[in-house]
Amino acid sequence: MSALPKAVQETIAGWLSSGAIEVFIGYERGPVPLRATPVFVRRPEDVVRLIWDASCENNLVAFLSKLRGKKVGLMVKGCDSRAVIGLLQEGQVIRENLRLVGVSCPGVVDPKKVAAKLAVNVDDLEDAHLNGAQTLLMGGQCMAIGEVIYDLCRDCVHHNPALSDLQMGEAIADPAADPYEHVREIESLSTEERWARFEREVQHCNLCYACRNACPLCYCNTCFADRTMPRWFSQTAQPEDVQFFQTIRTFHLSGRCVGCGACTRACPQGVNLRSLLDKLRLDVLELYNYEAGSDPNARPPLTTYREDDYNGFVM
Amino acid sequence: MTESPTATTWEPKILAFLCNWCSYAGADLAGTSRFQYPPNVRVIRVPCSGRVNPIFIVEALHHGADGVLVSGCHPGDCHYLVGNYFARRRFALLQRYLEYLGIEKGRVQFSWVSASEGARFAEVVTKVTDDIKKLGPSRRLNINVTRGATPAALNQEPEFEAR
Repeated sequence: MSALPKAVQETIAGWLSSGAIEVFIGYERGPVPLRATPVFVRRPEDVVRLIWDASCENNLVAFLSKLRGKKVGLMVKGCDSRAVIGLLQEGQVIRENLRLVGVSCPGVVDPKKVAAKLAVNVDDLEDAHLNGAQTLLMGGQCMAIGEVIYDLCRDCVHHNPALSDLQMGEAIADPAADPYEHVREIESLSTEERWARFEREVQHCNLCYACRNACPLCYCNTCFADRTMPRWFSQTAQPEDVQFFQTIRTFHLSGRCVGCGACTRACPQGVNLRSLLDKLRLDVLELYNYEAGSDPNARPPLTTYREDDYNGFVM
Repeated sequence: MTESPTATTWEPKILAFLCNWCSYAGADLAGTSRFQYPPNVRVIRVPCSGRVNPIFIVEALHHGADGVLVSGCHPGDCHYLVGNYFARRRFALLQRYLEYLGIEKGRVQFSWVSASEGARFAEVVTKVTDDIKKLGPSRRLNINVTRGATPAALNQEPEFEAR
């Protein structure tokens, strides 16, 4: 756990006292080991509660759609800042109302990986704590944080904020890796294998909608899943209902998903939603040469067209 | 595959979304010109292929359609000028995505048929029906499968709830 640098604290306190923002959303130390808790800071003197370290996993941008019209300050990692760009593009937030503290993020800790490495239950990590920015301690054992970050963070190619008012800390060099390797692996399977994989992947989903609630871009006032006229699928969590929900929710994010992984981290059942969403991201990139969350002035791909768009799928 | 209908009794049910201005008129022309095509399609007339929300297509599979055909005006000929251009982007992504999830290639097909292409409409329906006959009954995403519908029930017209 480490408090924010003095200069950053002062800037945030200044924004709060000058009325530039009503609330600053950041992270504070929470009751769960290795997981910081989001905190809403409204008084300048409370900025000392804010922290930044590898346990700050939540995408705080998900709160923005619930604070429409308010002046909000926010702590954003590389991926989070891309979600802000998505909301700006879709007219959900106004840039002037936002104050962003950007931080270059080397990856956040996955408690499940820590537990697996120590061969303990994920609920038995009370003693675990971060020891600086590089290592993590638990019961006398020391491990490098880089080994226990989420898969998504391991494959990350956007460590630095694409948008911020104040950059905190040093920028990190982005690797030239292929973040879609896991998608290509699935693509190479046969149809039967892909279906078996999809069935297996979502079989534990119980329609809790944590993915939807954690997603910064799932902001529809009435989600298709909550509609009763028409009721698109039954809420009984039978396999086909779950498959239907996951197919449509993920498809609604095509051309919009920035790949922050908030849904995958939020899932209490460990469904790897990233394996679905990254396919859409890859297709949008291949077909329309577009990557969500890069340019606030770009038009999202499904709100525009070209006459020479890909037509090969039409019989 | 003991529980699935046998090849002799089973006929696929195919849902077709046809745009009012081109493909629906094309289907009409096929009819008035007495072109023969398989009776497996159930047509829903939509104002434009751009009206077809991808959820309609997945919902059709979810409720037991064996295949879905979406047909609209040729690109550039849309009655609303650009509706099918927007639709094309969505459908390209949807078709690739469904295949990625493991829905068989050919379950969901797209075509452009103009009002003057009655013969082409008959050809499209024949091809889609043949493709889906080869694939057999649709079981993926289909609620009837785990809800214990019998093969006979699967082959009957579904009772649609009033919405």
